[in-house]
Amino acid sequence: MKILLIEDDREAASYLIQALDEAGHVTHHAADGETGYAMASSMEYDVLIVDRMLPRRDGLSIVESLRAENNKTPVLILSALGEVDDRVTGLRAGGDDYLTKPYAFTELLARVEVLARRSSPGEAATSFQVGDLSLDRLSRKVERGGEAILLQPREFRLLEYLMRHAGKVVTRTMLLENVWDYHFDPQTNVIDVHMSRLRSKIDKGFKTQLLQTIRGAGYMIRE
Amino acid sequence: MSSLARLGQLLRTTTFRLTATFILIFILFSIALLAFITFQSSIVIQRQQAADIDRETQLLQDLADKQGLRALAVAIDRLAAQPGPGIYYLGDKAGQMIVGNVSTFPVDVFMQQGVHSFNYARARPFGSEPAPGPTQGFAVERTVMLPSGFVLIVGRDVVERRGFTAIIFQGFSYGVLGILALSIIAGALTARRVLRRIDAINATSSTIMAGNLSERVPVTRRNDEFDGLATNLNAMLDRIESLMQGMKEVTDNVAHDLKTPLTRLRNKAESALRDGSSPREQHEALETTIAESDKLIRTFNALLMIARAEAGAPSGAFSDVDVSAIVADMGELYLPVAEDEGVVLSTRIADGIRLRGNRELLGQAVVNLVDNALKYGKPESGERSISIALREQAGRVLIEVADNGPGIAPEDRQRVLERFVRLEKSRTEPGSGLGLSLVAAVARLHKGEFRIEDNGPGVRAVIDLPTG
Repeated sequence: MKILLIEDDREAASYLIQALDEAGHVTHHAADGETGYAMASSMEYDVLIVDRMLPRRDGLSIVESLRAENNKTPVLILSALGEVDDRVTGLRAGGDDYLTKPYAFTELLARVEVLARRSSPGEAATSFQVGDLSLDRLSRKVERGGEAILLQPREFRLLEYLMRHAGKVVTRTMLLENVWDYHFDPQTNVIDVHMSRLRSKIDKGFKTQLLQTIRGAGYMIRE
Repeated sequence: MSSLARLGQLLRTTTFRLTATFILIFILFSIALLAFITFQSSIVIQRQQAADIDRETQLLQDLADKQGLRALAVAIDRLAAQPGPGIYYLGDKAGQMIVGNVSTFPVDVFMQQGVHSFNYARARPFGSEPAPGPTQGFAVERTVMLPSGFVLIVGRDVVERRGFTAIIFQGFSYGVLGILALSIIAGALTARRVLRRIDAINATSSTIMAGNLSERVPVTRRNDEFDGLATNLNAMLDRIESLMQGMKEVTDNVAHDLKTPLTRLRNKAESALRDGSSPREQHEALETTIAESDKLIRTFNALLMIARAEAGAPSGAFSDVDVSAIVADMGELYLPVAEDEGVVLSTRIADGIRLRGNRELLGQAVVNLVDNALKYGKPESGERSISIALREQAGRVLIEVADNGPGIAPEDRQRVLERFVRLEKSRTEPGSGLGLSLVAAVARLHKGEFRIEDNGPGVRAVIDLPTG
């Protein structure tokens, strides 16, 4: 994946570039807003990671200009401002996701990978298939190996989110944000308990465990 | 302050300037009024005199018609002898006077009938006594050509009239000067009084800026607008002082409560670096380090959130929120956890309760309460139960989270709302001591209050918000 990182903190940038490289992504770096905007509008990237406060031009104005030019590259905004209204302004400017500093790299990586997926088709998909597990959004049916599985509405949405991003790590915060639509820090093990319930419904009695816990990061569903 | 500088300051005050402006306007108005009155009264006097002259001329003409020139001459001689401003002349057109008190007139006065005004030389002074003043006068008269060919002139000296106008003018001028002087004194006194009140406020501000936040602006018992200002300033200062106090407490607590985990973190990293630790041990140490720093970040975030909520979030973060949905969501979020821990979680949520608020903060507040109930609401024996309720009562929205645990002693109920305060018995559970502080801050942000009540047994935590 080709990523553009617009970040003025050299140390944070070099750490991110190295870590993204280890995760198999090519990252270009711009250290100020003007350069970043020039690079973002002249080259094709899969994801832009934009710091909100930058020298010469602030992050939100870059995103606004790109969107005005009909550039639809997914943008992850990084910010030290983490209040609810800050997030809202960030997303309103055209950002696709918002991450507050300090963040765990696993959180950033998971969000970047999910974002890149967004620009590929699949957003409007009505059914998902992972191995012998299938989910149909229209009939709201879940089957594994031909047998129907009964899920609570919330469990259904959890599974749908996981299957939409099959093969990608999703973090607990991402689940709380996307399945429950709350943007605070999930306390302790709340999400884990929901996941273990879901797991007991879809994986119990099957040889292959589809729902996997990724240590220190979150969850992933894959064959 | 020198008296000169003091005067300069007085002259620069708004009150003084306002007074000066009013005085100026008043003086201009008085002058205009004075000019008008003088003008009007001189016109009235002039008319009066003209009427007098006309009447007298008519009488004298009638006399001449009925009793002849001689009788007229006698009458004029008598009139001319009387003291006063009267001017009389009976003579020929060449200026040869028969009787009268004025002999020299401009030529056209003899030649034309009608009214004239002119300078004249007085033949003899007014009254029997010789007049001390000049014998030159200014007169208004009427000239009548008698059928006999003689000229009759009846007039009035108007110098007296002018004197009258001058007296009015003078009186008014003294009046205006007096008012001017009084106004300046009144203006200066008012300005000084206002200045004194403002000086008091300024002095207080200076003391406060110098660092003494406990100083307050003096409030008099006059209950005027300055007292209103002083009361408001004092209320503002109270608020600032309490915020500063809170800030100081937070800083102290942060220093204390964050230093401990930071030291632990550092020790861990240091011991992992020490010779003889295996790669596996180092790996574990690193993982602990990350977990510890995550905890620190979480504490920081909670502190920031409380600070923002206490400072009063911008109203942009407020919207019409469905409280019923928020509380139901949180109940649903925690139901599996509660079941896993063997807790009976019940909800009793009234539908359709909405208010203006912040969805995220309200959600976080409910989560903190449920989390607290799960951690600390453990009865010594018997089944554990937690109930979440939402109801509307007399214009208040009440969010209640109750457990049947050991409860909190009445004397501790206020203290647990403070930042970083953790009751002794709760030390075994993980936590930052910020959960309830945040709930209290969120309640205050929504203009409501948070209180802890006795659930007999257990804790009943109540977020009490106004609907409006």
